[in-house]
Amino acid sequence: MSLQIDRRKFLAGTTAGSLFVLTLGGCKPEDKGSPQAAKSGALGAKTGSGGTTARPHYAMVFDQNKCIGCGLCKTACNEANDLPKGRSRLLLERQSTHVPGTPCPQCGKLEGCDCERVYVRVSCQQCQDAPCVRVCPTGAAHVDSKTGIVTMDPDRCVGCKYCIAACPYNVRFINEKTKTAENCDFCLKTKLANGEEPACVQACRHGALYFGDLNDPQSIISRLLRVKDTVRIRPHLGTEPSLRYIPVTKEGV
Amino acid sequence: MDFTIGLTEGVAWPWPIAVYLFLAGISGGAVAVAICMNLFRGVHQDTPIMKAASLIGFVTIVLGMICLVLDLTNPLFFWRILVYYNPTSVMSIGVMALLFYIPLVFVLMLVSLRQEITSIGCLKWLDPTIGFLAKFRVALDWIVLILAIAICAYTGFLISALIRFPLINTAVLPALFVASGFSAGCAATKVLAAWLFGADRHGEDLHALHAAEWPIMAVEAMCLLMIIIALVSGNEAAKAAASAFCFGLWAQVFWIGAVGIGFIVPLVLSFFGSRNFRDSAAVFYTSGLAAICGMMCLRLFIIYAGQINSI
Repeated sequence: MSLQIDRRKFLAGTTAGSLFVLTLGGCKPEDKGSPQAAKSGALGAKTGSGGTTARPHYAMVFDQNKCIGCGLCKTACNEANDLPKGRSRLLLERQSTHVPGTPCPQCGKLEGCDCERVYVRVSCQQCQDAPCVRVCPTGAAHVDSKTGIVTMDPDRCVGCKYCIAACPYNVRFINEKTKTAENCDFCLKTKLANGEEPACVQACRHGALYFGDLNDPQSIISRLLRVKDTVRIRPHLGTEPSLRYIPVTKEGV
Repeated sequence: MDFTIGLTEGVAWPWPIAVYLFLAGISGGAVAVAICMNLFRGVHQDTPIMKAASLIGFVTIVLGMICLVLDLTNPLFFWRILVYYNPTSVMSIGVMALLFYIPLVFVLMLVSLRQEITSIGCLKWLDPTIGFLAKFRVALDWIVLILAIAICAYTGFLISALIRFPLINTAVLPALFVASGFSAGCAATKVLAAWLFGADRHGEDLHALHAAEWPIMAVEAMCLLMIIIALVSGNEAAKAAASAFCFGLWAQVFWIGAVGIGFIVPLVLSFFGSRNFRDSAAVFYTSGLAAICGMMCLRLFIIYAGQINSI
């Protein structure tokens, strides 16, 4: 008798439990076969990946030796992505290679010299294991299913700023116009959607930016990485950033 | 190669989040402690402690929700977090827990305060409904207990997932938040039970609650010590973050607010002075409010000092 009741309870419990679990099936953000993503395959074709079904791994290289800090990339970004005035999804940080206490090879000053300045691109590092995607409560920050690029669905963003706090590079921000979070997604929805390179890459007159598919051995970026030493920012964090930097090299004596 | 600037200036999560962490901690702590006391005795009564705790539990979590929604960049977007879920996000899991916790704490409050509610003329019609809900009291107590502890813990996991901040990104933080939620929840329950629901300050119930406070505070202090030791003996970024305990405004908030008011004031008031002094109403309320104030300072310290010291 008591066994019967236990079994009935058990069945009722498991049914209720599985119903609850089933509803969790709705949790995963569905793959959005967005037209932009489909079109961006055009760029892959252009760079020679042919009709391969493997997902591309888009990456960017910033060459510190070539950047002069003119900021054309920032202006292009602002225009391409229709951002509020003065906003761009990337910044350039001015740094100095001058070691304090030693005489500057150009001006001879020991301190406060501004001769050997270099620039560092500050933008979304396009992590392969992105903390922003993991913490986003609504799936607004997500990996685009076609291109593998970390991007945003502004219609899902609740504006909680969890992704901004979670980003170990502090390269996400709230767009004052849309009130939603944003990151550099290589112009996925604007330039890439039209088969073009990202706006900043196109705008750079000094050849400091390269963009392409790492999974395509013939792409410019793959060939560049075969011959150039590059570094990644804070690789010890384990986020596997896709942005690579060619550090400034000093001229020989 | 590295860069030091970022695309967002200042802290991403300002004080409303600290207030929310505080309110959620008190809510979960108060409810969990009151239910534990009932369960340990094997009863499911509406003691003044249960009444106070369920009232605190419901009111603070609702105020906390208001803080959370108002901190969104556009509060009108809040519905999106109820529609879209991401199981890898602690915040999303927290929303799921809150969706069960808030209505159930409301029911617990109705059941616990049945007498008080039905004594109000215009609310008399609720009595049959509450009577029906009261039939599920045992199950309700257990489920709410688990959810209350989950709420306390989730607020810790929520921010310990932020890998940019060494002070916040520690495994001990959820334990610290559960402990400090319990101690402030105890204090709030004690104060309200005596003030509003006529609990005897020298009665058995409040003494038990009072006795439970010391071990909880000891655990809290131990968690803080663990965090400090781990930072001091950690890597470069961790050592830099450890300076948050020594310098600046937030160090003052920590030592004066969290340690001085939160730990030392209740300790001194409860163990020093004459018996009459210690048993006075002034000491009872002061030490309770000091513990609550200390917890608020601790949350403010963690949120601000934590976010200021990034890797």
